[in-house]
Amino acid sequence: MKRRSFFKVLGAGAAAAVSSEPTRAAANRPSLRYLRPPCALEEEEFLAHCINCGQCGEACPNRCIKYFSLENGLASIDTPYITPREKACILCMKCGDVCPTGAIQPVPREAEAIMENVKMGHAEVDESLCLSYQGKTCGVCYRACPLPDVAIRVGRLEQPHVLENCVGCGLCERSCIQMPHAIRIVPSHG
Amino acid sequence: MKPFFLWRHLNKLRWVSLSVVFAMLVLLPYIHVYQTYVAAHAYDLLAPSEQRVFDVMETLTQPFTNDPAEDLDAIKGNTWSGTFWGLKLSDPLAALGQMAAGLTLYWPFLLTALIPIGLSVVFGRFFCGWICPATFIYELNSNLASWLRWAGLKVGNRRLDKRIKYGVLAIGIVLSAATGSVLVAAIYPPAIIGRELYYMIGIGGFGAGAMFFLGTLLFDLLVARRGFCRYLCPGGALYSLLGRYRLFRIRRIVETCNDCAKCNAVCEFDLDPLRDGFGQECNNCTACIAVCPTDALTFAVRITDYPAQGPGHLGRRYRGEHEDVAGHEEAA
Repeated sequence: MKRRSFFKVLGAGAAAAVSSEPTRAAANRPSLRYLRPPCALEEEEFLAHCINCGQCGEACPNRCIKYFSLENGLASIDTPYITPREKACILCMKCGDVCPTGAIQPVPREAEAIMENVKMGHAEVDESLCLSYQGKTCGVCYRACPLPDVAIRVGRLEQPHVLENCVGCGLCERSCIQMPHAIRIVPSHG
Repeated sequence: MKPFFLWRHLNKLRWVSLSVVFAMLVLLPYIHVYQTYVAAHAYDLLAPSEQRVFDVMETLTQPFTNDPAEDLDAIKGNTWSGTFWGLKLSDPLAALGQMAAGLTLYWPFLLTALIPIGLSVVFGRFFCGWICPATFIYELNSNLASWLRWAGLKVGNRRLDKRIKYGVLAIGIVLSAATGSVLVAAIYPPAIIGRELYYMIGIGGFGAGAMFFLGTLLFDLLVARRGFCRYLCPGGALYSLLGRYRLFRIRRIVETCNDCAKCNAVCEFDLDPLRDGFGQECNNCTACIAVCPTDALTFAVRITDYPAQGPGHLGRRYRGEHEDVAGHEEAA
C-alpha cells in the first residue's frame, strides 16, 4: 500500500513536470522573475546539467544565490536563482569555478571575459518611474553598475541609457531608490 | 582460523566516519557563512548571534588559513558533489541522472564520478554504510525504533521486495529524461541532507526535500526497519549494481560459527550472513563482524560469495548430525 502511494506521488509529479506550460507561465509572473547565476547555460540545457548540489550558493560570497523549492515547477526544484531586487550578483564568478557540471560555465573575473560570456539578462528603464526622467537628478543605477559607461551611460540630468554590453547582474535594479523600481532586469531565459 | 583482530573494531571506525562526514556537512555551511562575514568586513554590524558564529569559526579555522575568504574555498559541497582542493568528486547517481536528463555525455562532469565508481566496484555498497549522511540519521532512527519496541510500542517491521529499489532507480532515470532535469536528486536522501543542511544554516529555512526526508524517516519507523535504504533508495540500487562483483566481501568461517543468528538480527539490510547470503546489497558495514560472539565472520577477497556452507560447526545442528554419524560408525 505504501509502495503504491509512493508511485502515485511519483506519477503525479511526472504529470506536473511533463506538462511544462504552467511552469513557463509561472516563470513569467513578475513575482517569480529570476535570474540564473552568471554564465549559466540556456535554461533548458541548464536544467539538464544542474545536479542541484548547492555548491554555487556555498561559493557565493555575496549570498545572493537562492534555491527554488516547488514554486517554479518540478523541473526547477533545488536549482539556483537570483532575485536582483533582493540581492544582486557582484560578478565574482566563483560559482562558475565551483560548478562541477558546467551548468554554470567558468569565466575568468575580467571585464572583457565577463562582457563576452555573461548574459543573465538586460536592464530596462521605465521612464515613467525613473526620477531622472521626471526632472530630479538621480543616477544611482549608473553609480551601482560594475561596468559604468560600458553597460550603462547617463545623459542629461543623469538619465540612464542601457547599452548592449549590459550583462544583467542586477546591481542597478537593487540600488534603484524608486519604489516600484524604475530599472529592472529582463532575464535572458524565456 | 581467526579473523584479523581489527575487523571487529571496524564498526566503531565506521561510526567515526559517518559522524565526521555529517559534522563536515554541518560545518561547511557555517564556514560559508563565516566567509561571507569576512568578505563583508562588517563585524560590528553583525547581530550578537552572528558574532558568536564568527568567533567560533574564526577560532576553528585560524590555524589553517591566512585569508579565510579565499583559503576556505578549498572544501565545498557535500557527498552528492564536492570539491576538495581542486579535486571534484560526485555521486555516480548524479552522473547517471545528468546523462539521462540531458541525453548527452558531458565528460568533465562524468569523470568526477570515476573515483567513487572505482571504489564501489572494489568495496561494493560501502558508501551506504560508511559515508552516506542519511545513513547516520537512519541508523539512529533504527536504534530509536528498537528502544520504542523495548518500551512496548509497535514499530514497523514489514518485509518488502528488495528489488523495488531497482524499479525506483529506473523510474528516477526515466523521470529525469522525461523532464530534462536531474530529478533523482530530489528523492535521494544523501543529496537531500547535504542540500537541506546548507539551506538551514547558510540560507535559513528548508526546501521540499526536508519533507520528503521526514517521510522516509516515518516510513522506516512505521513500515519497515531501514525500509528506505533496503527497498526504495535509487542510489543504493546503483551502488548495489556497481558492487555486484566487489572484491572485498564478508564471509562466514563455518568451523567457528555456532548458529546463534546474532548476525542476521543485527544486519540493517536484512541480509542472511548466517547462511552465507550477502549478495550485492551488503554494504560492508561490519556490524555482523562486531556482534559475532565466536569471531566467525571475516573479510575475504573474492568476486562472488561463498556458496552456502551449511550449519556452523559449533552449532547444535551440526554437532547433532555428526554425533549420529560417529554413532553409526561405531555400530558398524
